[in-house]
Amino acid sequence: MARYGMALDYKSCINCKACESACKEENGILLGADSHRIWVGVKEIEGVFPDLSIGSTSFEPSQCQQCDNAPCQEVCPTNATYYDDNGVVRVNPDQCILCTYCMQACPYDARYIDDRTLTVDKCNFCSDTRLMNGETTTACQATCPTKVRIFGDLDDPESEISQVLKAREHHTLKTHLGTKPKLYYLT
Amino acid sequence: MKTEISRRRFLQGSAALTIVGVSGAASSLIESEEKAKISDYGLNKTQWSDKLQEISTLCEMCVNKCAAIARVENGVLTKLNPNPLFPKSRNMLCARGNAGIQALDDPDRLKYPLIRAGERGEGKFTRVTWDEAYEYIKDKMVKILDEEKDNRSAIGCCAGEGMAEHTYTSFMQGKIGTANFVNHSSICLATTIGGYTLTLGGYGQADLENAEYVIMAGANRAEAIVTPDTMDLFKRTKGRGAKLVVVDPRFTNTASHADTWLPIEVGTDLAFVLALTYVALTDESYNKKFAKENMSDFETYKEHVISNNYTPEWAEDITGIKAEEIRKVSRDFMAHAPRAIYYQGRRTAWSLQDYQLRRAQAIFSAMGGGIDIKGGIIFGKTLPLGEHRTNSPIYDNAEVRIEKGKAALIGGSGSWIAWRNTIIDGTAPYPVRAFFAYKQNPMLSVPNTAKTKQMLEKMDLVVVIDTMPSDTVMMADVVLPESVYLEREDPVKTFGGAEPSIALRKKVVDAKYDTKPVIEIMRGLGEKLSKPLFEISKKYDESLQEELEGLTEEEVLEYYNENGYDLADGYRHSQETINHHMVASVYGEEAWKTLREKGVFYPDMDKYFKKKSVNAYQYYPEHKKSYSMIEGQLINEPYHDTCVDTKEISVLKKEFRTATKKVACVLSNLEKKKGVPSMPVWNDELYTPTPKGKFKFITGRHGQFTQSATANNALLIDLLSENYLWINKRIAKEKDIELGDMVEVESSIGKIQIKAYPTEKIGPNVLFFVHGFGAESSELTLAHQRGVNDNLIIEDQYENTFGSAAMHETIVNLRRV
Repeated sequence: MARYGMALDYKSCINCKACESACKEENGILLGADSHRIWVGVKEIEGVFPDLSIGSTSFEPSQCQQCDNAPCQEVCPTNATYYDDNGVVRVNPDQCILCTYCMQACPYDARYIDDRTLTVDKCNFCSDTRLMNGETTTACQATCPTKVRIFGDLDDPESEISQVLKAREHHTLKTHLGTKPKLYYLT
Repeated sequence: MKTEISRRRFLQGSAALTIVGVSGAASSLIESEEKAKISDYGLNKTQWSDKLQEISTLCEMCVNKCAAIARVENGVLTKLNPNPLFPKSRNMLCARGNAGIQALDDPDRLKYPLIRAGERGEGKFTRVTWDEAYEYIKDKMVKILDEEKDNRSAIGCCAGEGMAEHTYTSFMQGKIGTANFVNHSSICLATTIGGYTLTLGGYGQADLENAEYVIMAGANRAEAIVTPDTMDLFKRTKGRGAKLVVVDPRFTNTASHADTWLPIEVGTDLAFVLALTYVALTDESYNKKFAKENMSDFETYKEHVISNNYTPEWAEDITGIKAEEIRKVSRDFMAHAPRAIYYQGRRTAWSLQDYQLRRAQAIFSAMGGGIDIKGGIIFGKTLPLGEHRTNSPIYDNAEVRIEKGKAALIGGSGSWIAWRNTIIDGTAPYPVRAFFAYKQNPMLSVPNTAKTKQMLEKMDLVVVIDTMPSDTVMMADVVLPESVYLEREDPVKTFGGAEPSIALRKKVVDAKYDTKPVIEIMRGLGEKLSKPLFEISKKYDESLQEELEGLTEEEVLEYYNENGYDLADGYRHSQETINHHMVASVYGEEAWKTLREKGVFYPDMDKYFKKKSVNAYQYYPEHKKSYSMIEGQLINEPYHDTCVDTKEISVLKKEFRTATKKVACVLSNLEKKKGVPSMPVWNDELYTPTPKGKFKFITGRHGQFTQSATANNALLIDLLSENYLWINKRIAKEKDIELGDMVEVESSIGKIQIKAYPTEKIGPNVLFFVHGFGAESSELTLAHQRGVNDNLIIEDQYENTFGSAAMHETIVNLRRV
């Protein structure tokens, strides 16, 4: 029993896509699809050559925000979307009827349809691939070259993520929606 | 079934949905039929059975050699994870490292030896046994060397970078005895390695973990990943300890981490550095103590720069960078020195003045005192390995390399362009009739593809050793399939630096097909060729004839064995046996055991290595790191980049570095002997201005491909599906070019068509697309005609010091198709 979250030191991101490829290899994500579990958001630079505003561009790694109050779970008519014991928002593909309500409810566009199974898929913190097999972290965290991610148990006050969140300023995405994401962007 | 909801990948408010990925691939433009192909490529999922093994190895998806742990289950590789023990790779695997599984599982791999069946280049091959392949090679080699009277240099060869490169070159250069070897150096880092070596005594390593001020010009460490530089730097940019100035005609991912981005006119970096130097000299802001103690002929150089009036105003006209910016950068650099670095760069095959540029950078860095010191350019320590030597015969009739006089300092790794052009333009002093390629794809990697093809067509024999059916493989007579890195053990390697270590690439799965590692291929070839080639030497080599005169048959055999004519003798032991000797003979059996089990070894690793946090590890305690090793006196053989032939460097230094223990500001010897200016000087005649209405074409890398070598990798294509032409938005608008429109780019040597990516991230007189795409080989299912090959338009110019390619001197026209 834990309450898993992730802190992202996103200023270190170089958009190398190591996280995306590690996720695909680890979780057997379909190649060639428009959408998959994690991605890096690119904010295009503002200005006109040669006067570009460096501060206007950024790379922001993203994935399911693992909300404590997940709109996707709320709208799911079959309970295919559920919170597991570690607070991870998961999808049970056997129960998914592809109504796509969850996709429309998710304010982070973190869900997509896996064209093989015709069910909705999303990041689950590698729960079924790594965590349940004794690994202590996600594939994206482990592989990241500039070490953007800190994964850990938010309920454990001694965990590194808890310590970091205590010590450093951070924000969550679309906080005003009250979704209570467990992905924290360190500023 | 497709979802109708667009991906909201732009987290900050309502940022426009434009391009995903700085390299210019637009996700919206990917055609669905292509994607159907990629989706056929499966990813192995771990089953987590009790058969699961974790095996340490080293990655070979690029040149960095990061430490990996392979998850193998029932003989199937299911995941590659970073091995935290290796100081150089800092507990990471990039996108390519993760995609190593695809390199193993790619159905298009070369699976068994092949002999050409149709016309050369037609791509028709017959499967043969290894012995049949060797036999074919032997017959041709015997004929060629008989007709060329044992001039071993009639056999040409090339290699790409790799841990087994030396195994291959020891055979081709040592055993076969050819002088005609060319490698990646002259299309990559020859000028910077040469420039820094001649100036500082070594290329060194930029200590980006501790530098406070970094000028990164042209180098793009966010996309062209180099370890540990990439990981060290970008954790400290954006106000977190390292100020970063990026000087680049393009706004790269590296520039997005910069404090200052200076878009420079292509090919004018030397003027920029000379002006930085001028400012520091006239300000007298340089480190006077260091200059006095450690820089030879400093006053001469000072006088040279000042009397030539390399002022910021002068440089502004040339570089397009404002004089005030130049002053500021110079002053900031010196204010932060010695923890200030003008980053050396790697693929520095840019301009005709590249060598003097690297010299000027090295001297400017030294003026801050940031040499052999924490936060500067360090040389560190290298852990020695035991020796493994091969015994090579001496061939009297082997001629010197054909392009010898085409540039001032053509060394053992040659000048690719000059060498190739010498073969096809009829100026070669003797014919080169056979060509062996290992792990290099010159059809796509050397400027002017048409000429490379012409060169290959002239050959009586083309042998290619590789893992994938590249465009160069398509030109082969004999194809010898190499096992991929995950299927073989390679020569153990030592990695120098502040935190030196030894690392091992070990086999993680059995070879899937009838392939071999290079050492076994050399063994097989050696066994086949030894006796017949010895007979040829006996026929034409007068020294050998004298040696053998009057000897009995038994004595001849003894002579043959003792003098290395048994071409397989250095390759009979297994790689594991050789590695064992090289490690255990120096560090003992325990060290060998540790290395095999953990993939990494250095003395006291068990004591020093500690997990500091979720992401960070300690390799050495701070006081045990090797920052300052030479204390003002540059040692003779410091650590070099892993891609460097250290023997060649030694020769260069021996011949031309007069003040071997100091920073050499003036290289009089080089000027006297070779006519290369003794000090960095801006030469207008070597600068190509861009005429109005035309563009200079530049090329570069991105973080998901390694040149053309990974072009067929499904996982990587999924990240970046093709290359796009960067074109300034205003120019695009003038020409009515929109995102995805097909445009034609034409240079003096060829024209290509490519999709456009209008952007503000490039200037109005420059065009760019990334290298690595555009394979023609029909055997590459995914890479075939995907994107465009830059070397169809890059002119084959080279600079005159090392004969290094000048890839950014090509003027092109652009039109909408």
